[in-house]
Amino acid sequence: MIEQLNPTLKAFTILVPGVLLGLMFDIFTPLFYLVFVILVTFLFSNISMKKWLLIFTPFVLLAIGFAWMRMLYTRESFAGGEVLFSIWQFDVTTGSVMIAISLGLRSLCFVALSLLFILTTDSTKFMLSLMQQLKISPKITYGVLAGYRFLPTFRHELQVLRQAHRIRGVGRARGIKGRIIQFKRYSIPLLANAIRKAERVAIAMESKGFTGEKERTYYHPMKVGKRDWVFFSTMVGMFFFIVILSYSFGYLNVFGNQF
Amino acid sequence: MTNQWKLKEIVLMSILGVVFAAIYLLFFFFGQTLRNVLMPFGLGEFGYEIIFGIWFIVSIIAAYIIRKPGVAFTSEVIAGVVQVLMGSPAGPMLILTAMVQGAGAEFAFAITKWRDYRLRILVLAGVFAAVFSFAWHLYSSGNITLAAWLIVATFIVRVISGALLAGVLGKWISDQLAKTGVLRGYALGKEMQEERERDAA
Repeated sequence: MIEQLNPTLKAFTILVPGVLLGLMFDIFTPLFYLVFVILVTFLFSNISMKKWLLIFTPFVLLAIGFAWMRMLYTRESFAGGEVLFSIWQFDVTTGSVMIAISLGLRSLCFVALSLLFILTTDSTKFMLSLMQQLKISPKITYGVLAGYRFLPTFRHELQVLRQAHRIRGVGRARGIKGRIIQFKRYSIPLLANAIRKAERVAIAMESKGFTGEKERTYYHPMKVGKRDWVFFSTMVGMFFFIVILSYSFGYLNVFGNQF
Repeated sequence: MTNQWKLKEIVLMSILGVVFAAIYLLFFFFGQTLRNVLMPFGLGEFGYEIIFGIWFIVSIIAAYIIRKPGVAFTSEVIAGVVQVLMGSPAGPMLILTAMVQGAGAEFAFAITKWRDYRLRILVLAGVFAAVFSFAWHLYSSGNITLAAWLIVATFIVRVISGALLAGVLGKWISDQLAKTGVLRGYALGKEMQEERERDAA
Protein backbone atom coordinates (compact mmCIF):
# COMPACT_ATOMS: atom_id res chain seq x y z
CA MET A 1 0.00 0.00 0.00
CA ILE A 2 1.26 3.44 -0.93
CA GLU A 3 0.30 4.83 2.51
CA GLN A 4 3.08 2.82 4.13
CA LEU A 5 5.86 3.91 1.78
CA ASN A 6 8.70 6.16 2.87
CA PRO A 7 7.51 9.75 2.25
CA THR A 8 10.81 11.16 0.97
CA LEU A 9 11.37 8.43 -1.57
CA LYS A 10 7.69 8.65 -2.50
CA ALA A 11 8.08 12.38 -3.20
CA PHE A 12 11.20 11.68 -5.25
CA THR A 13 9.37 8.95 -7.17
CA ILE A 14 6.64 11.46 -8.04
CA LEU A 15 9.17 14.11 -9.06
CA VAL A 16 11.17 12.06 -11.56
CA PRO A 17 8.34 11.31 -14.02
CA GLY A 18 6.89 14.76 -13.26
CA VAL A 19 10.06 16.47 -14.47
CA LEU A 20 10.60 14.11 -17.41
CA LEU A 21 7.05 14.69 -18.64
CA GLY A 22 8.14 18.23 -19.42
CA LEU A 23 10.09 16.85 -22.40
CA MET A 24 7.13 15.17 -24.03
CA PHE A 25 4.97 17.03 -26.51
CA ASP A 26 2.84 14.24 -27.93
CA ILE A 27 -0.58 13.07 -26.79
CA PHE A 28 0.16 9.37 -26.39
CA THR A 29 2.82 9.58 -23.65
CA PRO A 30 0.99 11.75 -21.08
CA LEU A 31 -2.34 10.08 -21.80
CA PHE A 32 -1.08 6.58 -21.11
CA TYR A 33 0.94 7.68 -18.13
CA LEU A 34 -2.15 9.40 -16.72
CA VAL A 35 -4.14 6.19 -17.11
CA PHE A 36 -1.32 4.29 -15.41
CA VAL A 37 -1.15 6.72 -12.46
CA ILE A 38 -4.92 6.56 -11.98
CA LEU A 39 -4.79 2.75 -12.03
CA VAL A 40 -2.02 2.76 -9.41
CA THR A 41 -4.05 5.22 -7.31
CA PHE A 42 -7.07 2.96 -7.11
CA LEU A 43 -5.33 -0.41 -7.03
CA PHE A 44 -2.59 0.29 -4.50
CA SER A 45 -3.88 2.97 -2.16
CA ASN A 46 -6.80 3.41 0.21
CA ILE A 47 -7.93 6.70 -1.33
CA SER A 48 -11.70 6.64 -1.74
CA MET A 49 -12.76 7.09 -5.34
CA LYS A 50 -15.38 9.68 -4.37
CA LYS A 51 -12.89 11.89 -2.59
CA TRP A 52 -10.39 11.57 -5.42
CA LEU A 53 -12.96 12.45 -8.08
CA LEU A 54 -14.13 15.41 -6.01
CA ILE A 55 -10.63 16.88 -6.08
CA PHE A 56 -9.65 15.78 -9.57
CA THR A 57 -12.73 16.86 -11.55
CA PRO A 58 -12.23 20.64 -11.15
CA PHE A 59 -8.72 20.19 -12.50
CA VAL A 60 -10.10 18.57 -15.62
CA LEU A 61 -12.03 21.78 -16.27
CA LEU A 62 -8.93 23.87 -15.54
CA ALA A 63 -6.88 21.70 -17.87
CA ILE A 64 -9.41 22.21 -20.65
CA GLY A 65 -9.25 25.99 -20.19
CA PHE A 66 -5.46 25.82 -20.08
CA ALA A 67 -5.31 23.71 -23.25
CA TRP A 68 -7.72 26.08 -24.99
CA MET A 69 -5.46 29.08 -24.34
CA ARG A 70 -2.41 27.13 -25.43
CA MET A 71 -4.15 26.16 -28.66
CA LEU A 72 -4.84 29.76 -29.63
CA TYR A 73 -1.35 31.05 -28.94
CA THR A 74 0.92 28.28 -30.18
CA ARG A 75 4.26 29.35 -31.59
CA GLU A 76 4.70 28.72 -35.34
CA SER A 77 7.54 26.20 -34.94
CA PHE A 78 5.23 23.98 -32.86
CA ALA A 79 2.02 24.66 -34.72
CA GLY A 80 2.71 22.85 -37.97
CA GLY A 81 0.08 21.12 -40.03
CA GLU A 82 -2.94 22.34 -41.89
CA VAL A 83 -5.43 24.88 -40.65
CA LEU A 84 -8.37 23.10 -39.07
CA PHE A 85 -10.58 26.09 -38.32
CA SER A 86 -10.29 29.72 -37.30
CA ILE A 87 -11.85 31.58 -34.40
CA TRP A 88 -11.76 35.35 -34.44
CA GLN A 89 -8.31 36.09 -35.83
CA PHE A 90 -6.74 32.80 -34.72
CA ASP A 91 -5.93 30.02 -37.15
CA VAL A 92 -6.03 26.72 -35.33
CA THR A 93 -3.77 24.08 -36.90
CA THR A 94 -3.46 20.36 -36.25
CA GLY A 95 -0.09 20.99 -34.63
CA SER A 96 -1.43 23.48 -32.13
CA VAL A 97 -4.35 21.20 -31.23
CA MET A 98 -1.90 18.35 -30.55
CA ILE A 99 0.34 20.55 -28.40
CA ALA A 100 -2.66 21.90 -26.47
CA ILE A 101 -4.07 18.45 -25.73
CA SER A 102 -0.62 17.22 -24.76
CA LEU A 103 -0.05 20.12 -22.34
CA GLY A 104 -3.53 19.70 -20.86
CA LEU A 105 -2.88 16.00 -20.29
CA ARG A 106 0.52 16.81 -18.82
CA SER A 107 -1.06 19.12 -16.25
CA LEU A 108 -3.54 16.37 -15.36
CA CYS A 109 -0.62 13.96 -14.95
CA PHE A 110 0.93 16.41 -12.48
CA VAL A 111 -2.33 16.58 -10.52
CA ALA A 112 -2.80 12.81 -10.46
CA LEU A 113 0.80 12.28 -9.32
CA SER A 114 0.45 14.96 -6.64
CA LEU A 115 -2.79 13.50 -5.32
CA LEU A 116 -1.12 10.10 -5.14
CA PHE A 117 1.39 11.71 -2.80
CA ILE A 118 -0.75 14.17 -0.84
CA LEU A 119 -3.67 11.88 -0.09
CA THR A 120 -1.40 9.09 1.15
CA THR A 121 1.19 10.97 3.18
CA ASP A 122 1.11 12.07 6.80
CA SER A 123 2.67 15.53 7.15
CA THR A 124 4.61 14.80 10.35
CA LYS A 125 6.04 11.60 8.90
CA PHE A 126 7.06 13.50 5.77
CA MET A 127 9.06 15.99 7.86
CA LEU A 128 10.61 13.23 9.99
CA SER A 129 11.61 11.36 6.89
CA LEU A 130 13.08 14.48 5.25
CA MET A 131 15.25 14.85 8.33
CA GLN A 132 16.33 11.22 8.49
CA GLN A 133 16.71 10.35 4.82
CA LEU A 134 17.94 13.65 3.38
CA LYS A 135 19.93 14.56 6.52
CA ILE A 136 18.25 17.96 6.71
CA SER A 137 19.18 19.69 9.96
CA PRO A 138 16.82 18.83 12.86
CA LYS A 139 16.81 22.55 13.61
CA ILE A 140 14.97 23.18 10.35
CA THR A 141 12.64 20.18 10.42
CA TYR A 142 11.54 20.60 14.03
CA GLY A 143 11.33 24.36 13.43
CA VAL A 144 8.98 23.79 10.51
CA LEU A 145 6.91 21.28 12.46
CA ALA A 146 6.62 23.73 15.35
CA GLY A 147 5.57 26.49 12.94
CA TYR A 148 3.13 24.19 11.18
CA ARG A 149 1.38 23.46 14.46
CA PHE A 150 0.55 27.16 14.80
CA LEU A 151 -1.44 27.19 11.60
CA PRO A 152 -4.85 26.60 13.24
CA THR A 153 -4.16 29.33 15.80
CA PHE A 154 -3.84 31.96 13.07
CA ARG A 155 -7.50 31.66 12.23
CA HIS A 156 -8.39 32.11 15.88
CA GLU A 157 -6.13 35.17 16.10
CA LEU A 158 -7.74 36.71 13.05
CA GLN A 159 -11.11 36.34 14.77
CA VAL A 160 -9.82 37.98 17.94
CA LEU A 161 -8.40 40.82 15.87
CA ARG A 162 -11.68 41.33 14.07
CA GLN A 163 -13.63 41.39 17.33
CA ALA A 164 -11.12 43.79 18.86
CA HIS A 165 -11.58 46.13 15.91
CA ARG A 166 -15.33 45.94 16.15
CA ILE A 167 -15.47 46.65 19.86
CA ARG A 168 -13.37 49.75 19.27
CA GLY A 169 -15.70 50.85 16.52
CA VAL A 170 -13.38 50.35 13.55
CA GLY A 171 -15.67 49.70 10.62
CA ARG A 172 -15.19 47.92 7.36
CA ALA A 173 -12.94 49.63 4.86
CA ARG A 174 -14.32 51.41 1.81
CA GLY A 175 -12.46 52.17 -1.40
CA ILE A 176 -8.98 51.18 -2.45
CA LYS A 177 -7.18 53.32 0.11
CA GLY A 178 -9.35 51.95 2.89
CA ARG A 179 -8.63 48.41 1.74
CA ILE A 180 -4.90 49.03 1.89
CA ILE A 181 -5.17 50.44 5.41
CA GLN A 182 -7.31 47.47 6.39
CA PHE A 183 -4.74 45.07 4.93
CA LYS A 184 -2.08 46.71 7.08
CA ARG A 185 -4.32 46.65 10.15
CA TYR A 186 -4.71 42.89 9.91
CA SER A 187 -1.48 41.62 8.37
CA ILE A 188 1.06 43.44 10.51
CA PRO A 189 -0.35 42.40 13.93
CA LEU A 190 -0.84 38.82 12.70
CA LEU A 191 2.76 38.63 11.48
CA ALA A 192 4.09 40.37 14.59
CA ASN A 193 2.33 37.81 16.77
CA ALA A 194 3.71 34.99 14.65
CA ILE A 195 7.24 36.35 15.09
CA ARG A 196 6.79 36.63 18.85
CA LYS A 197 5.66 33.00 18.90
CA ALA A 198 8.67 31.94 16.85
CA GLU A 199 10.98 33.55 19.36
CA ARG A 200 9.22 31.94 22.32
CA VAL A 201 9.20 28.51 20.70
CA ALA A 202 12.90 28.75 19.92
CA ILE A 203 13.69 29.69 23.52
CA ALA A 204 11.48 26.89 24.81
CA MET A 205 13.18 24.34 22.56
CA GLU A 206 16.63 25.40 23.61
CA SER A 207 15.76 25.54 27.30
CA LYS A 208 14.56 21.94 27.09
CA GLY A 209 17.91 20.83 25.74
CA PHE A 210 17.33 20.88 21.98
CA THR A 211 20.71 21.48 20.39
CA GLY A 212 19.83 20.65 16.80
CA GLU A 213 22.76 18.27 16.44
CA LYS A 214 22.51 15.72 13.71
CA GLU A 215 23.80 12.87 15.87
CA ARG A 216 20.64 12.14 17.74
CA THR A 217 18.18 9.33 18.26
CA TYR A 218 14.65 9.23 16.90
CA TYR A 219 11.45 8.02 18.49
CA HIS A 220 10.03 7.30 15.04
CA PRO A 221 12.83 5.90 12.87
CA MET A 222 11.96 6.24 9.18
CA LYS A 223 13.52 3.67 6.88
CA VAL A 224 13.71 3.03 3.17
CA GLY A 225 12.93 -0.59 2.37
CA LYS A 226 12.65 -2.87 -0.63
CA ARG A 227 9.00 -1.90 -1.09
CA ASP A 228 9.99 1.74 -1.62
CA TRP A 229 12.44 0.88 -4.37
CA VAL A 230 9.87 -1.39 -6.02
CA PHE A 231 7.46 1.57 -6.12
CA PHE A 232 10.21 3.84 -7.46
CA SER A 233 11.26 1.48 -10.22
CA THR A 234 7.65 0.74 -11.20
CA MET A 235 6.68 4.40 -11.51
CA VAL A 236 9.85 5.45 -13.33
CA GLY A 237 10.18 2.22 -15.31
CA MET A 238 6.60 2.48 -16.55
CA PHE A 239 7.31 6.03 -17.71
CA PHE A 240 10.18 4.87 -19.90
CA PHE A 241 8.16 1.89 -21.08
CA ILE A 242 5.40 4.24 -22.29
CA VAL A 243 8.00 6.48 -23.95
CA ILE A 244 9.43 3.47 -25.81
CA LEU A 245 5.92 2.36 -26.69
CA SER A 246 4.99 5.74 -28.14
CA TYR A 247 8.31 5.76 -29.99
CA SER A 248 7.55 2.42 -31.60
CA PHE A 249 4.12 3.67 -32.64
CA GLY A 250 5.74 6.77 -34.11
CA TYR A 251 3.97 9.22 -31.77
CA LEU A 252 6.90 10.30 -29.62
CA ASN A 253 7.52 14.03 -29.77
CA VAL A 254 10.33 15.48 -27.64
CA PHE A 255 10.37 19.28 -27.55
CA GLY A 256 8.62 19.59 -30.87
CA ASN A 257 10.86 17.06 -32.60
CA GLN A 258 8.95 14.10 -33.98
CA PHE A 259 10.70 10.74 -33.65
CA MET B 1 25.33 26.97 6.54
CA THR B 2 22.82 25.93 9.23
CA ASN B 3 25.50 26.34 11.89
CA GLN B 4 25.60 30.07 11.21
CA TRP B 5 21.91 30.36 11.90
CA LYS B 6 20.53 30.65 15.40
CA LEU B 7 17.61 28.43 16.28
CA LYS B 8 15.33 31.44 16.68
CA GLU B 9 16.21 32.57 13.16
CA ILE B 10 15.36 29.15 11.80
CA VAL B 11 12.05 29.05 13.65
CA LEU B 12 11.32 32.56 12.37
CA MET B 13 11.94 31.37 8.81
CA SER B 14 9.63 28.42 9.44
CA ILE B 15 6.84 30.55 10.87
CA LEU B 16 7.15 32.99 7.96
CA GLY B 17 7.09 29.94 5.69
CA VAL B 18 3.88 28.74 7.32
CA VAL B 19 2.15 32.14 7.19
CA PHE B 20 3.10 32.76 3.57
CA ALA B 21 2.30 29.20 2.53
CA ALA B 22 -1.29 29.97 3.52
CA ILE B 23 -1.17 33.25 1.59
CA TYR B 24 0.39 31.54 -1.43
CA LEU B 25 -2.43 28.99 -1.48
CA LEU B 26 -5.04 31.77 -1.32
CA PHE B 27 -3.33 33.54 -4.21
CA PHE B 28 -3.45 30.34 -6.23
CA PHE B 29 -7.23 30.57 -6.18
CA PHE B 30 -7.13 34.33 -6.70
CA GLY B 31 -4.91 33.79 -9.76
CA GLN B 32 -7.32 31.23 -11.09
CA THR B 33 -10.15 33.76 -10.76
CA LEU B 34 -8.11 36.45 -12.47
CA ARG B 35 -7.34 34.05 -15.29
CA ASN B 36 -11.01 33.20 -15.75
CA VAL B 37 -11.92 36.90 -15.77
CA LEU B 38 -9.22 37.73 -18.33
CA MET B 39 -9.81 34.67 -20.51
CA PRO B 40 -12.70 36.14 -22.54
CA PHE B 41 -10.42 39.03 -23.53
CA GLY B 42 -7.80 36.57 -24.73
CA LEU B 43 -5.51 37.64 -21.88
CA GLY B 44 -5.89 34.52 -19.73
CA GLU B 45 -2.15 33.90 -19.80
CA PHE B 46 -1.64 37.10 -17.80
CA GLY B 47 -3.95 36.06 -14.93
CA TYR B 48 -1.14 34.56 -12.89
CA GLU B 49 1.63 36.77 -14.22
CA ILE B 50 0.20 39.97 -12.71
CA ILE B 51 0.34 38.58 -9.17
CA PHE B 52 3.33 36.27 -9.64
CA GLY B 53 5.59 38.40 -7.46
CA ILE B 54 3.64 37.46 -4.34
CA TRP B 55 5.09 33.94 -4.58
CA PHE B 56 8.63 35.27 -4.04
CA ILE B 57 7.85 37.57 -1.12
CA VAL B 58 8.90 35.28 1.72
CA SER B 59 12.46 35.12 0.35
CA ILE B 60 12.74 38.89 0.40
CA ILE B 61 11.15 39.33 3.85
CA ALA B 62 13.21 36.59 5.51
CA ALA B 63 16.49 37.68 3.89
CA TYR B 64 15.85 41.34 4.71
CA ILE B 65 15.12 40.53 8.37
CA ILE B 66 17.77 37.88 9.06
CA ARG B 67 20.51 38.92 6.58
CA LYS B 68 22.49 35.72 6.35
CA PRO B 69 23.50 33.54 3.40
CA GLY B 70 20.98 30.91 2.37
CA VAL B 71 17.99 32.50 4.10
CA ALA B 72 16.23 33.62 0.91
CA PHE B 73 16.51 30.14 -0.59
CA THR B 74 15.60 28.19 2.55
CA SER B 75 12.58 30.28 3.52
CA GLU B 76 11.07 29.88 0.06
CA VAL B 77 11.67 26.12 0.12
CA ILE B 78 10.08 25.92 3.58
CA ALA B 79 7.03 27.77 2.27
CA GLY B 80 6.91 25.23 -0.57
CA VAL B 81 7.19 22.26 1.79
CA VAL B 82 4.51 23.66 4.10
CA GLN B 83 2.14 24.08 1.15
CA VAL B 84 2.65 20.38 0.43
CA LEU B 85 1.98 19.59 4.11
CA MET B 86 -1.21 21.65 3.87
CA GLY B 87 -2.24 19.52 0.90
CA SER B 88 -1.67 21.81 -2.06
CA PRO B 89 -2.79 20.03 -5.22
CA ALA B 90 0.50 21.03 -6.84
CA GLY B 91 2.20 18.40 -4.68
CA PRO B 92 5.93 17.68 -4.50
CA MET B 93 6.54 19.54 -7.79
CA LEU B 94 5.88 22.69 -5.80
CA ILE B 95 9.02 22.09 -3.72
CA LEU B 96 11.03 22.04 -6.93
CA THR B 97 9.41 25.29 -8.10
CA ALA B 98 10.11 26.84 -4.70
CA MET B 99 13.77 25.81 -4.99
CA VAL B 100 14.07 27.51 -8.37
CA GLN B 101 12.43 30.73 -7.12
CA GLY B 102 14.43 30.72 -3.91
CA ALA B 103 17.65 30.22 -5.86
CA GLY B 104 16.75 33.24 -7.99
CA ALA B 105 16.27 35.51 -4.97
CA GLU B 106 19.36 34.11 -3.27
CA PHE B 107 21.39 34.82 -6.40
CA ALA B 108 20.72 38.56 -6.09
CA PHE B 109 21.89 38.59 -2.48
CA ALA B 110 24.91 36.46 -3.38
CA ILE B 111 26.04 39.09 -5.93
CA THR B 112 26.38 41.57 -3.06
CA LYS B 113 28.02 38.88 -0.87
CA TRP B 114 25.00 39.15 1.47
CA ARG B 115 26.04 42.63 2.65
CA ASP B 116 23.67 44.98 0.88
CA TYR B 117 19.98 45.02 1.79
CA ARG B 118 18.88 48.32 0.31
CA LEU B 119 15.64 48.55 -1.64
CA ARG B 120 17.40 48.20 -5.00
CA ILE B 121 18.87 44.82 -4.02
CA LEU B 122 15.52 43.61 -2.70
CA VAL B 123 13.91 44.62 -5.99
CA LEU B 124 16.73 42.85 -7.81
CA ALA B 125 16.02 39.71 -5.76
CA GLY B 126 12.38 39.85 -6.82
CA VAL B 127 13.45 40.31 -10.44
CA PHE B 128 15.89 37.38 -10.37
CA ALA B 129 13.29 35.15 -8.71
CA ALA B 130 10.94 36.09 -11.56
CA VAL B 131 13.58 35.35 -14.21
CA PHE B 132 14.48 31.97 -12.70
CA SER B 133 10.87 30.92 -12.24
CA PHE B 134 10.02 32.07 -15.77
CA ALA B 135 12.77 29.88 -17.22
CA TRP B 136 11.52 26.94 -15.16
CA HIS B 137 7.93 27.41 -16.36
CA LEU B 138 9.06 27.63 -19.98
CA TYR B 139 9.99 24.00 -19.46
CA SER B 140 7.58 22.58 -16.88
CA SER B 141 4.33 24.20 -18.04
CA GLY B 142 5.32 23.98 -21.69
CA ASN B 143 5.26 27.78 -22.01
CA ILE B 144 7.98 27.43 -24.65
CA THR B 145 5.25 26.48 -27.12
CA LEU B 146 3.60 29.90 -26.79
CA ALA B 147 3.88 32.53 -29.48
CA ALA B 148 7.09 34.59 -29.15
CA TRP B 149 5.32 37.92 -28.50
CA LEU B 150 3.30 36.33 -25.71
CA ILE B 151 6.43 34.89 -24.07
CA VAL B 152 8.06 38.33 -24.10
CA ALA B 153 4.92 40.05 -22.80
CA THR B 154 4.36 37.56 -19.94
CA PHE B 155 8.05 37.79 -19.07
CA ILE B 156 7.90 41.57 -18.72
CA VAL B 157 4.74 41.39 -16.60
CA ARG B 158 6.26 38.74 -14.34
CA VAL B 159 9.48 40.70 -13.82
CA ILE B 160 7.55 43.88 -12.93
CA SER B 161 5.33 41.88 -10.60
CA GLY B 162 8.42 40.35 -8.95
CA ALA B 163 10.01 43.76 -8.49
CA LEU B 164 6.90 45.37 -6.99
CA LEU B 165 4.98 42.62 -5.18
CA ALA B 166 8.06 40.83 -3.86
CA GLY B 167 10.73 43.53 -3.64
CA VAL B 168 8.86 46.71 -2.72
CA LEU B 169 5.96 45.13 -0.81
CA GLY B 170 8.34 42.75 0.97
CA LYS B 171 10.46 45.63 2.23
CA TRP B 172 7.39 47.60 3.25
CA ILE B 173 5.93 44.73 5.29
CA SER B 174 9.29 44.06 6.98
CA ASP B 175 9.75 47.75 7.85
CA GLN B 176 6.25 47.90 9.32
CA LEU B 177 7.05 44.79 11.37
CA ALA B 178 10.32 46.27 12.59
CA LYS B 179 8.42 49.34 13.80
CA THR B 180 6.34 47.17 16.12
CA GLY B 181 9.54 46.12 17.88
CA VAL B 182 9.14 42.36 17.47
CA LEU B 183 12.30 42.17 15.36
CA ARG B 184 14.62 43.53 18.06
CA GLY B 185 16.46 40.20 18.19
CA TYR B 186 17.15 40.08 14.45
CA ALA B 187 19.48 41.97 12.10
CA LEU B 188 16.81 44.33 10.72
CA GLY B 189 15.55 45.28 14.16
CA LYS B 190 19.07 45.89 15.41
CA GLU B 191 19.83 48.13 12.44
CA MET B 192 16.70 50.17 13.12
CA GLN B 193 17.64 50.48 16.78
CA GLU B 194 21.10 51.80 15.85
CA GLU B 195 19.57 54.33 13.48
CA ARG B 196 17.22 55.54 16.16
CA GLU B 197 20.08 55.94 18.64
CA ARG B 198 22.12 57.79 16.07
CA ASP B 199 19.21 60.13 15.40
CA ALA B 200 18.75 60.72 19.10
CA ALA B 201 22.43 61.48 19.69
